[in-house]
Amino acid sequence: MKIPRYGFAVLFGLALLLFTGYLLADTFLIKRVYSVAAEPASQTAAAQTAAESDEIVIVASEEEAAAEPVDSSPAAEPVTTDTTYSDENISVQLSTYRLYETTVYVADVQLSSADYLKTAFAENSYGRNITAKTSATASAVNAILAVNGDYYGAQRSGYVIRNGVLYRNTSGGGEDLVIYADGSFGIIDEDEITAEELLASGAWNVLSFGPALVEDGGISVSENDEVGRAMASNPRTAIGVIDDLHYVFVVADGRTSDSDGLSLYELAAFLQSIGCQTAYNLDGGGSSSMVFLGTLINNPANGRKSSERSVSDIVYIGYGA
Amino acid sequence: MSTSVTARKLHPQHKLLLIDLFASLFCVLFGAVYECFSHGVYSYGMLYAFVFPLVLGVLPLLLIAVLRVPYPNRFVRSMLHAGIATLTVGSLVSGALEIYGTTNPLTLVYWILGGLLVALGAAGYIVTAFAERRNKSDSPKEAHTY
Repeated sequence: MKIPRYGFAVLFGLALLLFTGYLLADTFLIKRVYSVAAEPASQTAAAQTAAESDEIVIVASEEEAAAEPVDSSPAAEPVTTDTTYSDENISVQLSTYRLYETTVYVADVQLSSADYLKTAFAENSYGRNITAKTSATASAVNAILAVNGDYYGAQRSGYVIRNGVLYRNTSGGGEDLVIYADGSFGIIDEDEITAEELLASGAWNVLSFGPALVEDGGISVSENDEVGRAMASNPRTAIGVIDDLHYVFVVADGRTSDSDGLSLYELAAFLQSIGCQTAYNLDGGGSSSMVFLGTLINNPANGRKSSERSVSDIVYIGYGA
Repeated sequence: MSTSVTARKLHPQHKLLLIDLFASLFCVLFGAVYECFSHGVYSYGMLYAFVFPLVLGVLPLLLIAVLRVPYPNRFVRSMLHAGIATLTVGSLVSGALEIYGTTNPLTLVYWILGGLLVALGAAGYIVTAFAERRNKSDSPKEAHTY
């Protein structure tokens, strides 16, 4: 049989096209739910029923499960305005700053218990390409305040520990933010400690994006540090701790004519200036978003549209779903 | 008059060279446009995808023309260009993923398959070139070059 002159080229080109299509769909579209997250009663009472997973799922120790649960809703009606929320357990104060031609939104948060600092997965599921807008996930868990998380779903490595459950123990070699059960923050290097050891040491949430911006009150990035191969000015999301159960959630707009965005160093300097002892950079760029009482506060720069990007997870303040 | 159409036809070697050159220029343009919309996030895969058709396609064809060594046969051309296409697409896709901030282990397939095809093409060329040279020395009257 005679092979047509361009037969091989056509067939090979088609195969290459199909493979590339599958790869892109696998990366961006095909949803894979590894486990469904169950909401634990409190940070010290872990109960997890994550199943149907080929990924690791380990829960916090039983010793921690013995502690008393905290309030699951405020006893009295909260006092709210456009920029404040206050009840007997949670206080949130929103402020807007203008620095380096950039609009920066800061939520100052004070809690009576670390149980109100939580994380949530999009669609309440851990997996790949499981995403939702920060506002949608925040709404699903009745968040008072929410920012985007570390977008774990975009990476194949990096520890994922959420609400006392270990979902991914593959080291990406980066710096992680550890939120311990008592609400304190720590920065760890994935090359120096395993996810299982972290869980055993009391890690309640681990976010793997980075880098750490402030450690022990000092700036821990240089003026040249960047996330991957990004330019200096970008939209940013960060979380920091000022004192016991006193946190700041920070989102900076960027990539717009009104707001340039911040470099990591500028963000770190700002976080230090407002008193952060430890602060950590979360997923930024088009993902950067802050939602307060159901309203999107910032102006996300998602491609050329000014709309929220769907992300894998959020960090939020609230009583839970 | 009757020979004008034939005379205007490009030699296969020139045609292939133009295709590779066009692919290389396309990659330069594609990478530049993509980088324009990537908010300053850059990727070597996207920036340097043009190197594959240039170095593995244009350059060898030029060398073949300059050195007047045998033109590769159809098998060699097919393998080599399948490899170039695979590596180029792999580079662009890896670049796009890197700019988005994600990864996929399947991108390794491009590098492995592309490398193998190029190696197969190169090996095929060496074997046929040696065979042709040997034939030439055996029957000098039939010698030809492109």
